[in-house]
Amino acid sequence: MFTTTIRSRHRLSRLFDLKAARKVRWNSSAAEPPPAGGHAPSVANSELLKSNRDSALRTPEILWTGDGPSSTLVSGRETRKMNTYQAVRDAMSIAMTKDETAVVFGEDVAFGGVFRCTMGLAEEFGRERVFNTPLTEQGIVGFGIGLAAMGHTAIAEIQFADYILPAFDQLVNEAAKIRYRSGGQYNVGGLTVRTPTMSVGHGGLYHSQSPEGFFMSVAGLKIVIPRSPIQAKGLLLGSIRDPNPVLFMEPKILYRSAVEQVPIDDYSLPLGRAETLISGNDITVLTWGTPVYHCETAIHMLNAPPPSIEKHIPTSLRSANVELIDLRTILPWDIETVTESVNRTGRLVIVHEAGMTLGVGAEISAQIQKRCFLKLEAPVRRVTGWDTPIGLQYEKFNIPDSLRILDAIVETLTY
Amino acid sequence: MLVRSVLSRSLRGSRAFATAPQLPSSPQNGRLPNTQSHIVSKLQFFNSVTGGDQQIPTYRVLDGAGRPLDTAEMPDIDEAFARRLYENMQLLPALDNVLYNVQRQGKISFYMTAYGEEATIIGSAAGLANDDEVLVRHSTIAINAKYLGQYREMGVLLWRGFSLDSVMGQCFGNKEDTSGKGRQMPVHFGSSQHHFHTISSPLATQIPQAAGVGFALRRTPERSGKNVAVCYFGEGAASEGDFHAGLLMASTIPSPTLYIARNNGFAISTPSSEQYYGDGIAARGPGYGIDTVRVDGNDVLAVLSAVKDARRRCLEQGRAVLVEAMSYRSSSIRVGHHSTSDDSFAYRARSEVEDWKRIDNPMVRFRLFMESKGWWDSTAEEELKDRQRKEVMKAFKRGESLSRCELKDMFTDVYSGEEPWNLKEQREELSALLRKYGNSWEPWKKELAKFTNQGKELMKD
Repeated sequence: MFTTTIRSRHRLSRLFDLKAARKVRWNSSAAEPPPAGGHAPSVANSELLKSNRDSALRTPEILWTGDGPSSTLVSGRETRKMNTYQAVRDAMSIAMTKDETAVVFGEDVAFGGVFRCTMGLAEEFGRERVFNTPLTEQGIVGFGIGLAAMGHTAIAEIQFADYILPAFDQLVNEAAKIRYRSGGQYNVGGLTVRTPTMSVGHGGLYHSQSPEGFFMSVAGLKIVIPRSPIQAKGLLLGSIRDPNPVLFMEPKILYRSAVEQVPIDDYSLPLGRAETLISGNDITVLTWGTPVYHCETAIHMLNAPPPSIEKHIPTSLRSANVELIDLRTILPWDIETVTESVNRTGRLVIVHEAGMTLGVGAEISAQIQKRCFLKLEAPVRRVTGWDTPIGLQYEKFNIPDSLRILDAIVETLTY
Repeated sequence: MLVRSVLSRSLRGSRAFATAPQLPSSPQNGRLPNTQSHIVSKLQFFNSVTGGDQQIPTYRVLDGAGRPLDTAEMPDIDEAFARRLYENMQLLPALDNVLYNVQRQGKISFYMTAYGEEATIIGSAAGLANDDEVLVRHSTIAINAKYLGQYREMGVLLWRGFSLDSVMGQCFGNKEDTSGKGRQMPVHFGSSQHHFHTISSPLATQIPQAAGVGFALRRTPERSGKNVAVCYFGEGAASEGDFHAGLLMASTIPSPTLYIARNNGFAISTPSSEQYYGDGIAARGPGYGIDTVRVDGNDVLAVLSAVKDARRRCLEQGRAVLVEAMSYRSSSIRVGHHSTSDDSFAYRARSEVEDWKRIDNPMVRFRLFMESKGWWDSTAEEELKDRQRKEVMKAFKRGESLSRCELKDMFTDVYSGEEPWNLKEQREELSALLRKYGNSWEPWKKELAKFTNQGKELMKD
């Protein structure tokens, strides 16, 4: 069955080097090298990833939900090196262990998923709880809604965010509105829809999209995008247990490239809260998902520009203190953290991979200009994908890479 | 079961890959990886599901004059149960009559009568367990006939004891609207207590959801093997992609889900000949590998038997089953064919037996059957009509007089848990506007008066 599916589904086989993926030992704690072919080499050296046990256990806002020691203690807790897909898998394993009603389903999830996120779950929990569905996205989400309406925990997977649109009706007209329209009698709070998102270096039109903006106006839905393994596990567990339907979008290029020490215990991270990753007073850079690392690189480049572009970076700016914020939850977004930051810095650059027109950045900049009007010293700047489909061979010039972010920071600082 | 079917399929697949190719010398050796199909050497196209030009037959128990067909096996019903069936069937037009008339008086925004599906709805409701999970969406969609299908299926709720006050509460959107706090358009009922999932307008979306509900029932120890998910839809909704998705899901991921298609020949103005080219909806069931039956939807006893047996198959197989009820409503919209109609039907029915169109009314047919048993007569009929009319009017007047929920409920139930800042801010913005204009701007003032508490809970500082 699996063989047949794979053969008939070109869209997954091309994208990921399955052969290479099979060489990985799934339960291994050994980190693998990041994919050199990707456009996010900065992930390999990122200081934002927690490489030791102590910093991992002291992840801000971490909420221990297991039975073990009290919710604040970190002593006696352990971590293990995981990449993002292993952390996602770990979260689902914990959710299913603790909750007998939890099931995982979607296209090709039973053999481990095309991105390995469900590796071994079918063996661990049985095919009754981890199973393949026919290739029908509207069916997958509709099915998950039915499960959740009965109070069960439904963890559905849409193979790529690019293919979530057939389920748009079920998500927007149904999942998001069921609690409201039934006067609170019914709800689908147990529904979480996971989907890989953002560009991967060679995904072309339909393996690269960032559709979070389409869903941002959907009252009743939550949208969460993690940046790292610790975040993926904590936010996914938070999403699965949140009493509202959640769209959980996993930046697919980080599945293997982002590696850090991840607490092995059950914990969650709060939804609706942004996280300040680097503190600064001169300018705020706000982003989420993959571009977090491009922003980090851009900040390094500002402080120490490589010789090839040195002449474009005024020396007066090189000691600028840039504040970097990871939004994490797109809906409802953390306006308080962003407003506080921009009121302090007076400058804001928003970075996202999706196109500019009516992207998430549009909503945020409108709110910020309303709230920070007197404090703004430069126009809110958006660095985004262009308003084009994502052409395969043009990707390097489409995505907001570190150079474009750096340029926007420089222009905003010199405005 | 799931595991077994997957295993057997993959075994079949691997055997096909492992075996050296054989020459197709006889029908038996047609081993293809994805089918157990035989190999033939004669080119032959096929079309009908039943073979030849035969259409799928329609199961019927009573003829148009209420007489049992010779070979039919009668469902085991006594007088009390028959009366209950008939009274519930009659309650639907009784509601129609009142609501249609008050709509003409402008007391509710819209209403529309529809006859002909009483037997399908009440017969099927009676064939289910009262705690089977029901999902409904209307069968038809158009600006001025939105409520047609859903309204009929409210009969399932009435059968289960949903009160007329709750019906009126929803239609008026008053504070007793337990279905949805006045948020949805009329006839979007729902009641978790009665295992009736709240109706919504988008067509067919409930069809894959029902598969998920069925799967959840199978996974709930105290309900596994006892309850099924039941999903009603019209033949128009079966054209939506969600129909395909739903039947596919409920058959492939075994889920005890009973699909009841009401085929009344029309989706608003579109006749079924423009809806599909095949043999109705029933012909699609076998394509999904599920047990399927077509039943005369104007014969309440046939529907009862078919649904009972379909339900049994659902539970036994743990998989989807499809029932197509043909109710051949002669016209899709019959506005104005109102309160006096069924009084006259009763008399005409006996005198004009040859007029099948007139006599093929589900209520008349069953009434004639009850009369032949000595279970019903014109006195009982008059008494029932009178009683139902009074009950409906009483509930109507009550529903009309009640105020709406509190205005603050416009903002509740969007999310559970912590209220997002945007909702908080927007509610405060409205509050400020109400404080500023609520007592002076006439259109708002008039509207505020309709709410419990007149919006004061929002206007206070």
